Amino acid sequence: MRFKRTWLWVAVLTVGLSLFAFGCGGGDDDEGDDGGGGAAAEQVITVNWGTEPPSLDPGLASDTTSAAIIFNIMDPLITLDDELNAVENAAESWEVSEDGKTVTLTLRDDLEWTTGDPVTAEDYEWSWKRTVSPELGADYAYQFFGIVGAAEYNECDPAKGDCEALREEMGVEAVDERTLRITLTSAQPWFIQQLAHTSFIAVHRPTVEQFGENWTEPANIVTNGPFKLDTWEHNSRIDLVKWEDWRNADEVSLTRVNGRMITDGTTAVQAYEAGEIDVNLDVPPEEIARLKDTEDYQQYPYLGTYYYGLNVKNITDPLQRRAMAMAIDRRTIIDNITQADEVPATGFTPAGMPGFDSINPASEFLPESGDIEAAKELMSQVQNPKTEINLLLNDAPGHREIAVAVQANWQELGLKVNIRQQEWAQFLEAIGPPPGNDIDAFRLGWIADWPDAMNFLELWTSDSGNNSTNFANEEYDQLVEEARATPDEAERYELYAQMEAIMFGENAEMPLIPIYFYTATHLERPSIQETFNINPTSQIDLRPVEVRE
Amino acid sequence: MSGSLLAYVVRRLVWTIPVVLLVIFLTFVLMRQIEGNPFRTSERAVPESIQRNLERKYGLNDPWYVQYAMYTKGVLTFDLGPSLVLRQRTVNEIVKEHFPRSLELGGLAFLFAAVFGIPLGILAALRPNSWLDYGAMFFSNVGFAVPSFLIATLFIYYFVVQWDVGFPTSGWTNWESKVLPVVALGLAPAAYFARLVRGTMLETAQQDYIRTAQAKGLRRRRIVGLHVLRNSLIPVVTAAGPLLGYLITGSFVIEEIFAIPGIGRYYVTAVTARDYSVVMGLTVLLSVIVILANLVVDILYAVLDPRTREARA
Repeated sequence: MRFKRTWLWVAVLTVGLSLFAFGCGGGDDDEGDDGGGGAAAEQVITVNWGTEPPSLDPGLASDTTSAAIIFNIMDPLITLDDELNAVENAAESWEVSEDGKTVTLTLRDDLEWTTGDPVTAEDYEWSWKRTVSPELGADYAYQFFGIVGAAEYNECDPAKGDCEALREEMGVEAVDERTLRITLTSAQPWFIQQLAHTSFIAVHRPTVEQFGENWTEPANIVTNGPFKLDTWEHNSRIDLVKWEDWRNADEVSLTRVNGRMITDGTTAVQAYEAGEIDVNLDVPPEEIARLKDTEDYQQYPYLGTYYYGLNVKNITDPLQRRAMAMAIDRRTIIDNITQADEVPATGFTPAGMPGFDSINPASEFLPESGDIEAAKELMSQVQNPKTEINLLLNDAPGHREIAVAVQANWQELGLKVNIRQQEWAQFLEAIGPPPGNDIDAFRLGWIADWPDAMNFLELWTSDSGNNSTNFANEEYDQLVEEARATPDEAERYELYAQMEAIMFGENAEMPLIPIYFYTATHLERPSIQETFNINPTSQIDLRPVEVRE
Repeated sequence: MSGSLLAYVVRRLVWTIPVVLLVIFLTFVLMRQIEGNPFRTSERAVPESIQRNLERKYGLNDPWYVQYAMYTKGVLTFDLGPSLVLRQRTVNEIVKEHFPRSLELGGLAFLFAAVFGIPLGILAALRPNSWLDYGAMFFSNVGFAVPSFLIATLFIYYFVVQWDVGFPTSGWTNWESKVLPVVALGLAPAAYFARLVRGTMLETAQQDYIRTAQAKGLRRRRIVGLHVLRNSLIPVVTAAGPLLGYLITGSFVIEEIFAIPGIGRYYVTAVTARDYSVVMGLTVLLSVIVILANLVVDILYAVLDPRTREARA
């Protein structure tokens, strides 16, 4: 019996010890945070960037996470204010020729790289041509296709054509150290605002040439913005520190911005609640109801539209498409499913877009809470209705719930809706364009690249790579062409209004059903709320941010 | 190591080569069968010229057999190629930087499972049908049945947000940050170990040779320690190999929830983004690990039970 007990003790001890080792552990990093008052002594914040930025190379970046970081370590030519007006930044002025086709930018005279080298117009010319070059394979090379010769240079096959000659012909030229001249294919009145996109930021040529693909690693990178890249532990953290020698360093309060990459939405909210992060850039829909009334919850307008595309080759009668649009109760979807006070869409161009009031069609077929009776009335006039609707979604959270609500609305019109979900990459292949024959409707969203309605309305031309509806309308295509060459804002907005009217006006073609205009949701400590900001194109400017007592 | 054992090990190692080649081939074929474009990651259409430039840059415009040959050659020279989605990184860099984290996470979870689960099983087996046994088995049922993502979320909610005992919600930096993910990952295998040890110990105790030992008048400590335990551990070792492989390679849910920069997070995002080179590189790597873990087990097995060695020699 004695030995039996010994064994028992050994086992008990081991279990106990392991429990002890894993069960206890202390830490005492309590952080207090109260809003209001003057500047705090320590100007440090921690932001959850959400995911690993795929690239910090302005030429290669094509997503909002990368952009958020690049904007703050680099010095864009132009920035956008809250109303999306262009504001001089690295470019101190710009001049547009009478015909709108030549843009001349003048750079400030105090621009420097972190190495001390001056930032010159030559840097921009080289960087833009690098991004367009067929060798780099940049996704956003098309941002430059409005510049003379850019598309031709990008299309060149280095094994076959004389790409060097095409490179020379591209319409961007450093006239002198501080003057950059750009020749556009048409007037493109939004070009100045477009310059605020990350793609147009310059890179430091000697660094890129020396380190190749690894030039953005913290040990190699050379930047020219208010913050420097201090740490980049991939998939874990990106920390920025203030660059004390930046041209306007005295306007920057934060000395350090620690960045985490917590992808899981629930963990991110918990990390915020535990005081580990001060800003969480995206609140998961399932947490919004609980957090909405807290003082930390912040909401911003976001230039984007959530919509249902319709395959007009399958649902051929515009009457049916109008009826389907009319049946959807957007208010219920927003109040009960998405819950972030999105704006019920009354056209495709989102609220907040310059000229919105004159462009928006305020479509009678897009009533906020739906109008089932009127929709049924329309439906009854349809000669050959398509009664079985295959609705395709991607499998990200939230879309199914919306689709089920729409399914219920459409059921009242006598439509049988089959909801099918696919993972993202397969989904994108399936909707084309052209969409698969078995797809009648699909969900998608569009977020602005630059703040002009053209960025939204040009999606629906007959040759657009983003038009998965099979909608083709000559008049519409002509209006787009005309608007591209119309520098006058009022005239252009009038053309945009005509395009919206073709889609959603009295005789609406309704190739797609706009559901709502997006909002952005954040959790932010009260101590920084006053100064922390994100503009409607999702750009975060950390320069004015200050931690208050 | 005896000669026969050495020969056995060498033979097993040589066999891994065709297995790895088969893995490469199958992954290559399967990946290409799924629809999707690695260069279209958002709803934005990719203009034709840009798609062509990217295909040229990454050699995707070559015929499939050329791509396959190039890839196999790359693997054999330990060059897994560039990532198609994380445009500035190579698969080698990703493996080098992130695999050690997964290895550490999986290894610690395995250690936790062994240190916690095996004694628990012994305890239960020594006092079958007592409250101790019931308690241990209740724990192991729960640990086995509740999925790790739920355990992880509950752990964060209670230990960090509600009770604030000093663990962070996420990350992989100091030891405090490692406790919750390791326990969350190790709980199910601990439960598995406990059940397995209890079962085999009770079964071994019924064997004739144990009765013989008892009849010989051996002390109970010697019987349990030498005969029961040693023989009961053989199935445990058998199970441990695949389990270790599974813990190292299968922790992506835990890595995602706790924001641990391990290889698992890359694996999952690479599959959804059609990042062919990352998927293939990681599949090959993880297969090699599972193969090696099994090999180690077989060697241990041979050491523990000479009969298996002789049978194979």
